[in-house]
Amino acid sequence: MKKTIIKSFIMASGMLIATGCTKLNETILDESSVTGLTDIKLAEGTLAPAYAVLPTIFQHTNLFALQEISTDEAILPYRGGTDWGDNGIYISLHKHETTSTDPNVRNTWNNIVLGISRSITAISSLTTNKDPNAKIFLAEARGIRAYYSMLTLDLFGLVFVKEDPSGISKVVRNDEAIEYIKSELLAIEPVLNNTAGPGRITKAAVWGMLARLHLNAAVYRDRYAANFTFKSEDMDKVIEYCDKVIASGDYKLAPEFFSIFNDNNHTNKELIFAVDQRADLNGHNRMAYFSLSGDQFPLPAYTGANGTDGPGITPDFYRTWANAYSPVDPAVADPRFFKQNLSIYTNPADSCVAAENFYINRGVLRGQQYGLTKNPDGSFKKCPDGKIKVSMLFNVTRSRPDLPVNFTEFIDFTVAGSNYNTGYRVEKYEFSRGSVSGRNFGEHDIMIIRLADIYLMRAEARLRKGGGDAAALADVNTIRAARTATTPAPPLTSISPDLLFRERGFELYWEHQRRTDMIRFGKYEGAWTEKNNTDKQKRLFPIPQTAIDGASNLEGYLVQNPGY
Amino acid sequence: MGKINLPMFCRTCLAAALLIVMCFFSPQSAFAQQTINGTINDGAGKPLSGATIAVRNGNSTTVSDANGAFSISVPSPTSVLVISYIGFTTQEIVVGNRRSLSVSLLSNNAELNQVVVVGYGTQNKKDVTGSVKSLKSEDFNRGIINSPQQLLQGKVAGVNVTSASGEPGGVQGITIRGPGGVRSGSTPLFVVDGLPLDNAGTGGGDPLNFLNPQDIASIDVLKDASATAIYGARGANGVILVTTKKGKAGTSIMTLSANLGVSNIANKLPVFSAADFRKEVVRIGGTLDDKGGSTDWQDIVTRTALTQNYNLTLSGGSEKLTYYASFGMQKQEGILKNNSLDRYTGRFNATQKFLDDRLIIDANLSVANTVNNRPPITSVLGDAISNNPTYPAYDANGNRAQYVNISNPLNYFSLDKDVANINRVIGNITPSFRLAKGLIYKLNFGIDNSNSDRDLQSLSSAVPQRDGRLETYYVYNKNTLIENYITYNLVKGSHNITALAGHSYQKISVRGRNTSINRFPIGGVEPIYNPGVGQELTLANNRPGGYAYVNEQQSFFGRATYQFDRKYLATINFRADGSSKFGQNNKYGYFPSFSLGWILSEEEFLKDSKFSNLKLRAGWGRTGNQEIPPKITQPLFTTLGGSYPLYPSGTYPASYTYVRLANPDIQWEVSEQSNVGLDFGLLNGQLNGTIDLFRKVSTNILLQVTPADPVQPSSEVWTNVKDMSITNKGIEFDLNYNRQINKNVHFSVGGNLTLIHNRVKNSPYTVIPSGSASGSGLTSATINGYINNQPIGTFYLLEFIGIGNDSLSAYRDVDKDNIITDKDRQTLGSALPKTIYSFYGDVAVKGFDLAINFNGVSGNKIYNNTANSNFYKAKLAKSVNTTPSAIVDLKESNNNAARVSSRYLEDGSYLRLNNMALGYNFNTNALGISNWASSVRLSVTAQNVFVSTNYSGYDPEVNADRNIGNISSYGIDFLSYPKARSFIVGLNVTF
Repeated sequence: MKKTIIKSFIMASGMLIATGCTKLNETILDESSVTGLTDIKLAEGTLAPAYAVLPTIFQHTNLFALQEISTDEAILPYRGGTDWGDNGIYISLHKHETTSTDPNVRNTWNNIVLGISRSITAISSLTTNKDPNAKIFLAEARGIRAYYSMLTLDLFGLVFVKEDPSGISKVVRNDEAIEYIKSELLAIEPVLNNTAGPGRITKAAVWGMLARLHLNAAVYRDRYAANFTFKSEDMDKVIEYCDKVIASGDYKLAPEFFSIFNDNNHTNKELIFAVDQRADLNGHNRMAYFSLSGDQFPLPAYTGANGTDGPGITPDFYRTWANAYSPVDPAVADPRFFKQNLSIYTNPADSCVAAENFYINRGVLRGQQYGLTKNPDGSFKKCPDGKIKVSMLFNVTRSRPDLPVNFTEFIDFTVAGSNYNTGYRVEKYEFSRGSVSGRNFGEHDIMIIRLADIYLMRAEARLRKGGGDAAALADVNTIRAARTATTPAPPLTSISPDLLFRERGFELYWEHQRRTDMIRFGKYEGAWTEKNNTDKQKRLFPIPQTAIDGASNLEGYLVQNPGY
Repeated sequence: MGKINLPMFCRTCLAAALLIVMCFFSPQSAFAQQTINGTINDGAGKPLSGATIAVRNGNSTTVSDANGAFSISVPSPTSVLVISYIGFTTQEIVVGNRRSLSVSLLSNNAELNQVVVVGYGTQNKKDVTGSVKSLKSEDFNRGIINSPQQLLQGKVAGVNVTSASGEPGGVQGITIRGPGGVRSGSTPLFVVDGLPLDNAGTGGGDPLNFLNPQDIASIDVLKDASATAIYGARGANGVILVTTKKGKAGTSIMTLSANLGVSNIANKLPVFSAADFRKEVVRIGGTLDDKGGSTDWQDIVTRTALTQNYNLTLSGGSEKLTYYASFGMQKQEGILKNNSLDRYTGRFNATQKFLDDRLIIDANLSVANTVNNRPPITSVLGDAISNNPTYPAYDANGNRAQYVNISNPLNYFSLDKDVANINRVIGNITPSFRLAKGLIYKLNFGIDNSNSDRDLQSLSSAVPQRDGRLETYYVYNKNTLIENYITYNLVKGSHNITALAGHSYQKISVRGRNTSINRFPIGGVEPIYNPGVGQELTLANNRPGGYAYVNEQQSFFGRATYQFDRKYLATINFRADGSSKFGQNNKYGYFPSFSLGWILSEEEFLKDSKFSNLKLRAGWGRTGNQEIPPKITQPLFTTLGGSYPLYPSGTYPASYTYVRLANPDIQWEVSEQSNVGLDFGLLNGQLNGTIDLFRKVSTNILLQVTPADPVQPSSEVWTNVKDMSITNKGIEFDLNYNRQINKNVHFSVGGNLTLIHNRVKNSPYTVIPSGSASGSGLTSATINGYINNQPIGTFYLLEFIGIGNDSLSAYRDVDKDNIITDKDRQTLGSALPKTIYSFYGDVAVKGFDLAINFNGVSGNKIYNNTANSNFYKAKLAKSVNTTPSAIVDLKESNNNAARVSSRYLEDGSYLRLNNMALGYNFNTNALGISNWASSVRLSVTAQNVFVSTNYSGYDPEVNADRNIGNISSYGIDFLSYPKARSFIVGLNVTF
């Protein structure tokens, strides 16, 4: 009996031990960490993701919302009480009442810091890479990190300095931040050339960034100053780097303004640094579809591709155009304002268009819109000859078939001002021809730095430095005169900071620069439609609450910007 | 057997066990010499049907019929009849020369003699020191039931069952003593016949749909940590042990049951009729878009649904072999058109004894096939409640009418299909061998395998214009278990000791894959049957996807119980759990528990008191929650980061990024729970009750957090948040009164009440938002927030204070800065009920019996996201239908925005008459069919009879999953499937 018990205990414990050898190491089946790559594959494979966050940063709800909806160039009311309510974030953004929980601020921040992290991974890997191209790739990785750092400095007032991927970033601000970015850019400038652009960092892109950094240095040094002190040596640097870009001869102002924003703009010589979008890889069409009406269908091939009734321009911004050319209509006076592609506006009888010739108008869209309308079965209406029928548009998709798609100058946050048809709209980028949903498959490159901006920066530096007014005026008029595809805008006869600011609006509207420009020109605390806030502390966005909460275990590490 | 790595010994042992089962099947013969007829009653004169009458050491066994009568053959006058019945003391009677017998069984205290399943064994209820509730099949809820959670609803104090929606087979939320984590994963551990299930979804609906409720003999709920610690890292959310039916020796029973149910929508939303709509749109100054029709779109999409349920069970056996087999079929129609859930189940349970009963082999096998057909539910409902009622649903030719501005939900029924087909097989074999007196070795080998495919088909059509798309999802789950354990029992004088020690290894693998294809010719074959008819296949639109993971868990566990003098009880549980999901630095977690019991009623000073039972229990234990995603401790440097063109043409570089860094410290969440309980019985055991006080504190909360340095490969990383805790504390009452009034009348009433209090503490986050709002204009708004010193499920919202002078919504400006921002959000109540209660009763008079079950909750709120995104004045002004609630404020502008705010926060309290069943047992003797059928029962059941609530949506029991990054949302209603009211007629015949 006893023996049996002992035997069975031995047997049982033997069993326990026998099964007890499992190490519980986790088997991973659906993912694999990459090993054994060739140097060139690793070099390309670590640099590409550092750039890859760019299309997301440049989505309509990210950098565009922060840089444009916070200014007089864009306003996004709660459309009809049904669209773009988004918990009031676009209204807050415009009224400078954004808080640290704003999801667009958070998403923009997250994507930029992700870009920095990937740049650091690339830098640490490329430093030891033996491929002949690795040197240039390394310089580019440092360059794109410097660009992301410029974004964090401009938007949030700080820069993360980090070399060791597993270390903790040092947070720097003001002068220290400027010097850090400058030293990075200067270090890589000699390594680079001008052949890989505009989608990648080139020597000219570095010059452009340096010019932009020096131009805004006064702001970055003393963020909340009543008046910024633009140092002469900074302005000299702006002029020097702009000169280098212009003198390189690699870039050319485009004769047709809107060609800069066409699907095929990748080869446009005006582009210096841009987000390289490819329809089959990473492209989105958000810049083109955002502002259009939900009843504008720009592509005969796709019945699901329409607009969203997003932002319009404020009447204030429109008035800068109208007043500049009064009594001439801006559409006539300045080719940058509008380009007519649909002849129904000038020839109302022409309402049947071959599908391949159907292009919507570009620039600032005003008044009654015409375009494709649908049959009850969802297909586009056609003329008896098989061509596409172009008709007057109504807000059918918004259950307001009684309301014409008639864009008005008037737009604000009142009930009337928030209707589906208020505000002049902007169609600066081409609505990508292959965009099935209207959102996807974008083709156009999105501007970061282009030659006209270089001229405008040089003009501004000359003006701010003093004594360079004539040369500044010449720079501005160089751009105006270059758009020769149609009648160019008339030359300016005089120049002043206000006129230069206005000119930047005419040239660079909706190109993610307005907030930075308004701050630098001391106009960000001004009043415009639905915006009266004069708080200087709103010059910076709040650091997202998630980041503040995440850093709450390191006291004093991430300090919220004042006023939030 | 899969690729499970069994040690050599086990493999041999298992093979032997299987061999024995297969080879050993000896038929037993009966030998009759003397026939005894008799009746059995309960002491008060009521006949007891179903009592077991067996001949000791013999082969024959029988069961008393509806009148308590039996007839049995015995070999000799010295034979001893053993008469047993649940809740009564077993009697043994020497036959002698008697030919007839009238036996009165002594009503023992039924409550006390219940056997309770406690994990790796059973205990008598009176010996249990933890908080455990056992529910037998006769206590279950009745009606059309798809999963065991529904059987339990309202039956166990501390257990909150909330169906996510009214969809047949839909996910049933269940928490025991409150949620203890932030992520989804607060579901208890389910153990079916000793096999712990994985909570991973099986490809559609609730993962427990495969169980046929009619096969379940009992459900035992282990609530406190002193009971659940034996399940270690999976015990923190409680454990639910499901035991299926077994055969009884000496019987041969066949039961056939057929049920037919009719269901209708219980409650329609009161949207305007066409006539009212015409009037109201004009009255509020809106734009009336009148197409001249009169359509009730809710009627268009719903129907009277039929449910058929058939079950055949065969059970019985001899002393050496008993079996239970069942075949079930339930074909359930949903009240939304094109919605159905068909389930076919089969089960075979057998127990066989060898070697003088030293070796007992239990084998269970169940197979289930469920086929779930669904329309696109939220789209259908969204159209049904908001479509303009003046639009005819059909055109002049009787075809589906097509409109540019509204979508006709009939299109979905014709063009869209979502069919999930799930096959699940669960089996386990558990040989137990008595090595010596009191020493038993047991092996448990089990496998749970499910395969599913789900097709989402959108047909091409000319009107409305659609290209069509087919998406197919495959999910394969496999769960294998091998356990070895030894139990030892020693009774010596007043000492009674039992000990258990064991080892368990479980491996769970889950794989999923999906494919798609676009653009089909109009008409012709359905692409479900031949996806090859698709015309378009691109990587951008049709990139296949998939995932796979394997989790391994190895555990060592033990339990010791000690009883002294049948009065003083002590239990110690211990489990060491290792899991492949845990980080390298924390592979094993250790989970102990201790509990004590004192049976006061056994003490001399209470011997003559009114208490038939009085027991005090106290316990403490530590458990874990290991429901964490796989792979999160492992680094990953891979190609998932998205690429970017580096060259003007050619292929794009494969891009390599870290998407996850190594995190070797990740471990389970820890939950510590203390429990004090009192069980009492009064009035000779007619009144029984339990009171439990508990406090459960979860720490080491596992969360995806933003790292301190934002410059990271991923904006969030997994970590156990130091110091953060979630506390659930409360009190549970359970009371039952049971009375036999006379021979013909018996009744019982009972109820339970849970008061529970949940708090989040020491979270480093000002708010962890969850519950993303749905609907146009509501993107990015959140509804719930996890906030310090507030309960989980707290609604964190702007407070709506009425329509202001500007005719627009006004909100409370909490920070008084004159602007309304996120900073003005407030905590405005929680979705977790403070009180959960139920009461029930049944009464039996002669052949009739009636059972009624009520359940309810209070102290909770519901966010009516359906109303928020559909029912506001601006909608009606544009000829989109709403309920009258949208236009109560005449001052409100026709363009006022419906922002996420307390305006749509409603009281979620309710009281439901959950089910009511009236049955009649025919007197088969009187009908003269007793030789043919021993019992015939006819019943009528009404389910979801009424709900008393102030909530304005379809039903207050709702929980649309709107989690953000795996952070659970609570109490949000968004186009949730409406609940049905059902009437079921059933016939049950036992042969």
